[in-house]
Amino acid sequence: MTELSMRVRDLHVDYEVFTERRASLRQRIVAGQGSGRRVIHALKGVSFDVNRGDAIGVIGSNGSGKSTLLSALAGLLPPTSGEILVSAEPKLLGVGAALLPAATGYRNIRLGCLALGMSAHELDDAIGDIVEFTELGEALERPLKTYSSGMRARLHFAISTAVRPEILLIDEALSVGDRAFRQKSRERIESLLGDAGTLLLVSHSMDEVTRLCRRGLWIEKGVLRATGPIDEVIARYTEATNATE
Amino acid sequence: MSEADDDAAGLAPLVTVTTSREYLRRVWQRRDFMFALPVEELRSSHRDTVLGNVWHLGNPLITAGVYYVIFGVVLEANRGIENYPLWLMVGVFAYGLTSSTVLGGASSIAQREGLMRSFRFPRAIVPISSAIGNLITFSFQLAVLGSLALITGEGVSRRWLALPIVLVVHSALNLGGSLVVARMNDTFRDVQQLIPFLFRLLQFTSGVMFSADKILASDNALIRTVVVYNPLVPILDAYRWCFMGGSFDWGSTLRATVVAGLLLLFGFRYFRAAEHRYGRA
Repeated sequence: MTELSMRVRDLHVDYEVFTERRASLRQRIVAGQGSGRRVIHALKGVSFDVNRGDAIGVIGSNGSGKSTLLSALAGLLPPTSGEILVSAEPKLLGVGAALLPAATGYRNIRLGCLALGMSAHELDDAIGDIVEFTELGEALERPLKTYSSGMRARLHFAISTAVRPEILLIDEALSVGDRAFRQKSRERIESLLGDAGTLLLVSHSMDEVTRLCRRGLWIEKGVLRATGPIDEVIARYTEATNATE
Repeated sequence: MSEADDDAAGLAPLVTVTTSREYLRRVWQRRDFMFALPVEELRSSHRDTVLGNVWHLGNPLITAGVYYVIFGVVLEANRGIENYPLWLMVGVFAYGLTSSTVLGGASSIAQREGLMRSFRFPRAIVPISSAIGNLITFSFQLAVLGSLALITGEGVSRRWLALPIVLVVHSALNLGGSLVVARMNDTFRDVQQLIPFLFRLLQFTSGVMFSADKILASDNALIRTVVVYNPLVPILDAYRWCFMGGSFDWGSTLRATVVAGLLLLFGFRYFRAAEHRYGRA
């Protein structure tokens, strides 16, 4: 019998955007509540189940709601309605938002790990591994802002994969760095998942999705269009995109 | 995919409404992050200036110098105050902690938007860690005040042991105010623009540069009331008592303690009530 690690039922996520910035007092008073605000229905009733240990590729065109889905599953965007049940707290891969450009690589490893939820004690055990994985050596003593984009990508990836969540969410993070590092990253993700880890991967690279995932979810305009074995879902998605071109 | 409901055994809702107690427990769980954030920021800030972190001291010192010239030399507001340089400096530093903590709280939510979009944690961590950053800076300022007390002949005193208590009451007040304006500023970004003016006004009724008694002698009833209920007046006096001795007003100090506690309680509840909104738009 398969165990579920996630159940999503009739998930709706709406959010408000302000055409420029957040409305100021002047805008609210002078122009009234309605101006400059627009409600985006990013997800319109999505339902699916995820089995424990499943790797699922989430595909769809730009602006289809894939990233919103991942944010909602990570608990960062509360659903407008519907239900998300999980066996453990899903974690979104990525650490960039916590890092300080003016601080050194070492300092950023510390900060990033703590942001990911490690305690100072756990950090001491993990730091050696991360340093080794980055292959950055003495560059870790320099401020992050002096890094090349490839170096930065290595650091980000090494930190964000230092924790091992039961349910991992990835939003386009793998296609970074040089070829050797990409290979290394893939292996790290595979080992991170092990036999029990659950993965939801948002990607535009069909190669990557096919390689890592067994099942697929195709989302278009906030609606779930297809679900099933990854090859079938990709086939239907490509067919539909080709037809509109 | 099976639709049977018993499959969902072992699954729990992702979004759960928690009690205040549970919320605080989660904040405490993230304490290492809460402290690391301001520490790392302080470490790496001011790297582009020659004097670096010395500016955290230099800034209020220069401010105190300017006030000394205006209020001590020109307006002679120092009459009746012994050791006016120290008296003034304690006021400027302690008042500065309040204004920078509250202003920091207001801007913190906008500043940490990216963080909140990427990580799940109790949002109160954002204004709290900003307050911690200000406390770290203030601890260096306290060291300067201690040295100044020695230089000006006040000497080491057992009263210094009361400083942590004063600091706790003061911090409760600051954090309470910070949490309130953090939410207000998230709704109306204009709040952040208004706060500096508010604090400039409040400064004159807090007994920073001249004794609050001067205002109590005023004919204007409204401004007298502001001074009587302003919890910063007894808090600044308590700091001064620690460094300079003199009389200690228990009544007003206790009143300030109650006000500080209530503001923190209200601020926490008020901030939490909009928890899901922070970092979204």
